Amino acid sequence: MSRDIKVMVTGVGGQGVIYLVDLLVSAATRSGIRVSTSEVHGLSQRGGSVNAGVTFGENTFGFVDQGEADYLIGLEFLEAQRHLSYLHSLSYAVIDNTRILPFSVSSEASTYPDTPELLAFLEEQIARVILIEDQLEEVNPLHRHLFVLGKATTLEGFPLTSHAIEKAIEEITRPALQEQNITLFRQGCGTDAGIKRQRAQGGQGDQTARSIV
Amino acid sequence: MGNEATARAAIEAGVQGVFSYPGTPSTEISEIFSTLSSFDVDAVDRTLHPQYVPYPVYFEYSVNEKVALEKAIAFSIGHKSALCCMKNVGMNVASDALMTVAYQKIYAPLVIIVCDDPGCHSSSNEQDSRHWGRMASVPLFNPAHPEDAYQMTKEAFLLSAEIQLPVIVRLTTRVSHTRSTVGYNGIQLNQKPGAFKRAPVQINIPARNADAHQQLVDKVHSEKFQRYFWNNNSLTSSSSSNLYGVISSGVSAVYLEEVLSRFKLQQRVATLKLGLIFPFPEKDVLLFLKQGFKYVLILEELEPVIEHQVRSVAQKNNLNLKIMGKGFSNLERTGEYSISIMTQVISDFMSLSLKEIKKPLQGLNDLVSNLPQRPPTLCVGCPHRATYYVLKLVIPRTDEGPLLCGDIGCIGLGALPPLKMLDTVNHMGMSIPMAQGLSEAIDHQHPNGVIAIVGDGTFFHSGIPALLNAVYTKANITVIIFDNRTIAMTGGQDHPGSAKHQGTHNVEIEGLVRGVGVESVSTVDPFNVKQMFSTLKEAISHQGVSVVVAQSPCIKIDSPLLPDRSQMKVVVDHNHCSTCFHHVDKTHPCSQLCTPSSGLARARAKIAAGIHLPAKDQSCPANICNHGFFNSILAGDYSTSLAIIRDNLLFARTCGDICHRPCEGDGVNKVPVKQLKKYVSSIEDNFNDFTALDKRIKETERQHHSVAIIGAGPAGLSAAYDLLLQGFSVTLYEKEQSAGGLLKFAIPDFRMDKGGYETEIQFLATHGVTFNFGHALGSEITLDGLLADYGAVILAIGLGRSLLLDQVEKALPRHHKYSAVDFLRQYNLGLIDLRAGSTLIIIGGGNSAIDAARTAKRIDQNNRVILSCLESREAMPAFDQEIAEALEEGVELITESEVNNIEAGDDQNFSLTLKNTLTGKTITTLNGHYLITAIGQSGDPDSLTGNHGITVDKEGRLPGDPSSELSYDHPSGNRAGALFVAGDIASGNHMSLIGAIGSGKKAAIGVRRALQGYQYEYEADEPLQALNSRQSHGMDSTHALKWEEQSPDQWSGDISRFDLYQPCERCNHCIDNFGCPSLVKVNGKVQIDQGTCTACGFCIDVCPNNAIKWAEATADISPVALS
Repeated sequence: MSRDIKVMVTGVGGQGVIYLVDLLVSAATRSGIRVSTSEVHGLSQRGGSVNAGVTFGENTFGFVDQGEADYLIGLEFLEAQRHLSYLHSLSYAVIDNTRILPFSVSSEASTYPDTPELLAFLEEQIARVILIEDQLEEVNPLHRHLFVLGKATTLEGFPLTSHAIEKAIEEITRPALQEQNITLFRQGCGTDAGIKRQRAQGGQGDQTARSIV
Repeated sequence: MGNEATARAAIEAGVQGVFSYPGTPSTEISEIFSTLSSFDVDAVDRTLHPQYVPYPVYFEYSVNEKVALEKAIAFSIGHKSALCCMKNVGMNVASDALMTVAYQKIYAPLVIIVCDDPGCHSSSNEQDSRHWGRMASVPLFNPAHPEDAYQMTKEAFLLSAEIQLPVIVRLTTRVSHTRSTVGYNGIQLNQKPGAFKRAPVQINIPARNADAHQQLVDKVHSEKFQRYFWNNNSLTSSSSSNLYGVISSGVSAVYLEEVLSRFKLQQRVATLKLGLIFPFPEKDVLLFLKQGFKYVLILEELEPVIEHQVRSVAQKNNLNLKIMGKGFSNLERTGEYSISIMTQVISDFMSLSLKEIKKPLQGLNDLVSNLPQRPPTLCVGCPHRATYYVLKLVIPRTDEGPLLCGDIGCIGLGALPPLKMLDTVNHMGMSIPMAQGLSEAIDHQHPNGVIAIVGDGTFFHSGIPALLNAVYTKANITVIIFDNRTIAMTGGQDHPGSAKHQGTHNVEIEGLVRGVGVESVSTVDPFNVKQMFSTLKEAISHQGVSVVVAQSPCIKIDSPLLPDRSQMKVVVDHNHCSTCFHHVDKTHPCSQLCTPSSGLARARAKIAAGIHLPAKDQSCPANICNHGFFNSILAGDYSTSLAIIRDNLLFARTCGDICHRPCEGDGVNKVPVKQLKKYVSSIEDNFNDFTALDKRIKETERQHHSVAIIGAGPAGLSAAYDLLLQGFSVTLYEKEQSAGGLLKFAIPDFRMDKGGYETEIQFLATHGVTFNFGHALGSEITLDGLLADYGAVILAIGLGRSLLLDQVEKALPRHHKYSAVDFLRQYNLGLIDLRAGSTLIIIGGGNSAIDAARTAKRIDQNNRVILSCLESREAMPAFDQEIAEALEEGVELITESEVNNIEAGDDQNFSLTLKNTLTGKTITTLNGHYLITAIGQSGDPDSLTGNHGITVDKEGRLPGDPSSELSYDHPSGNRAGALFVAGDIASGNHMSLIGAIGSGKKAAIGVRRALQGYQYEYEADEPLQALNSRQSHGMDSTHALKWEEQSPDQWSGDISRFDLYQPCERCNHCIDNFGCPSLVKVNGKVQIDQGTCTACGFCIDVCPNNAIKWAEATADISPVALS
């Protein structure tokens, strides 16, 4: 490809950000696309904020700086908003409306951000935003990453095909989880056939974590 | 990933032993070897993996980095190739070995990987470990990306073999954790055998060192390095005139390359990338500089290590060029670099204006500032949270409480809210030394001691010598080892206390601690709240070194869930979560605060108390929330405690003085409510602070109706108070010239603070209640009239008439006799004038009799006071404590006696004969001067004449429940105001202060029902009715006196043995003080996120409302169904 594509993945420790990055790398390598990443491990497991940058293309430096992310894959709403400055005017964003309340919100010291406000901002300023509000029964609300990734593949110019990602899932996932992971991924790819915006339906200011809504 | 590439390179280089201690960002390297060493060779399917080469490599996670490096050195002295990897600060621990091995010889390559952490993502500091090369005089490589890491690690092994010195490869987070495509080579099994050859060089003694040092210096200046410089440093040249040269090393080189490529500047800048930086490639750098640049830029994160060397080269060779380094543009010594920093630097360096190609977003600020923080937190189900929580219950987090010295690792997260259970965290291993050092430094100021908190991993790493030192120096500290059976933060590696890998041996912590000399040590399961509580308490008060091992496996590696719990889940019952016991009348929220300390007090009582009482066992007839009141005192918040009383009762101090405390039963094992009430209302600042009530009255919606209350005694005043707080306009009619009723006139002043009572009454006047004095019912005012003018009228005129004995009335002239009420009234007005040293005989066994008797004694100590009553001592209606006090004061008591005969003597005295009520036999004949009749009160029928349809019973009291309207025939037949009755005048009312108050409150409820449409019954009706059924003697005197003798700081320790519990609305405790991420508060109620909950069940012990319970895992309990 003629220019690099930079993808930023954000979420909360435990949602599978690193697993997604593994997938992207494996799929890219399999597709013959040079890829590199930059991640920060360590404390991420302890429920903190996690992000990772992935660069596809000849310029193989994984670091994704402010204003450089062409795609944002946001596994959690607050974290997506926290990383807004990584986007630019031509970015695409797919954000899952999963809300994992940090302690400061439960203790009422601060408020969880408002969905419509962020959506309106993004719709005005970037190329395209998809907010995922699908309720997925029987899916652990912390493990929706593959669904979100599936949705991401429907964005214009996304550097990987869903086929390559599926192969990568087979390669790196343990056998017990392979089938359900692929199913979930396919659900994400398939249920949003065209590229259309999805507005927030209700759930405004709703402060609940997914599993108890 | 960079780390994986490094490991691969070591394997290809034939490494035979890997020694490590886990530490981000290096851990992936050692984990690969850990997996390798426990790999089941025989399980591999060779047909599937034909390229498989079994590669046995010795691997261990050593106790710490020092031993790891020492063992690695031993390996290479033993002729086997070794690798040692660690994080930045680990190098500091290992440095002693590094510094001296360079003076000796190794016989197989030894490569040390050290991973720095610029930006300090997960380390104690962001040190620049490149200094170790120069410090120890060992070669040091500085890779820039994963391919470099691979290449340079292989080179390092070659170099180390060639010069027989250890070689360091120094990575950073952005190299270790970056992934990119790396080509690799084949693996060949290294089967070189180990050996040891005796030689003088193996013995390091001072005599050899001067020579050894010189040899080392010569070694690192050898020409052998040239080849390695060639292989590991690289040049690009520019096509245009050589204005700009850039020397870079590490990940900076990557950012440089990206920026040059992006803005197409490659042709305009010559670059030199350094990979082998110690020894410093002076010749190559000089060659580069001599290209005649005008400007040279040095790019390296953290310290100007290369920069100083370059400047030194330039200066030694008299080169005339400008060198830019730290301090130029935005090149800092702290933190990481980035593409945007690099872009700015190149802009400034080349005087260009490099703009971002991609247009940034505008107006972000509002959306990204003030977002809730999301710091890391202890996991759901983490045993450390349980231990920290119990510790929070045990020790106060005040200036007087113990200091908590923490350490790094998962336990460090205990410093963050809501736990906030650490005062110090430094570098790894500092907890125990800090505790003993601080204890020594400030011990005389801090009698409550110092506690060290350390994880099991850190304990084995560096805690043992520190603990030994504490025993040796007789320190006075408590050490709590948070043993979650693993090195958790780095991903769950083993240590000697949880040895699970083949070839390792388990060492129990408790035995080790005893072996070091600690006598007081115990191991406890953190999920056993009560046991942990008592163990910690004991350990903390122990003098000397005491150790508690809080042991339960890390939730990420093992779940302690009992088998029968796996079918269960934990749920919150919304009927108990943040729900008030009082289910009615939410027009005004109670004054209980919702703070972490109030929640903690309640939660602590749940665990620590020995006596658990449901609050309904100490219900107050005046509907005070005893639960809220008591727990505020436990939390040390006396002003809120008083405010809670005043939510329902104005007469806090008065009740504190004279209430007969029916809520305290026999006084054994009940909360001493009266004494506590007395205490909090005795604090003058509290007592005189009515601001909360002012505010409430101001905010209350005014009612249209007005209410008249006849009688300003405690019943009438209490009704007035409640109605005032509901916004009614209230007028009190009182026959005397001041308010207060019998309490004011007939209770002697030594029993209660009259001034306090007056202040309490005055509150009503200053807040709009109208008092009309000198208005008696039947003369100045009539019921007809009042009922026509007011929406409701409450009759609270009390029992104004004293009962008298015919015998006495006939026999004695006026100046010898009194009724008890009259006597007391005159005493209170200062009108009593008795002969000195007279004898007073009192007939009656009730409270008035006792009051009169004690008053008589106080008037003159020489007075002889004799009390005669019909009842036996046990059956006397007076309160037991009062009787006891009277006897103590010298009153003589003759029970089961009645008057047989009275004869007036001369003007001064009379004689009175008492006989036994049962047998009739004469008991004694007394010579008295004054006689006081105290046989009870009755209503004054005259005041009620002419009031239609009201029937009065034989005691002169009106029938009916205070909250029910009395039927009344208004003369005109019109619908008039509603009539209610309260206080002593109501039959069935208990003749006590609290009975009167409850009665008045109940009448107010009746009024509200009639005028406000109030739906509910009087909430405290049950304890109010129970006043009559009880013996109501009040508390056993010995207990009462015991509480009164102690001072508050004595009984505050004592009252902590009580837990007076019920659900409370003002509760955020589990969130504020425990903080499990699965507990989420939504719309005022807590919910458990079943997706993340590990069902450890600890929150069940945490919730002071008893709102959290086990349920069947399959039960459908949605929040809607619960409420």
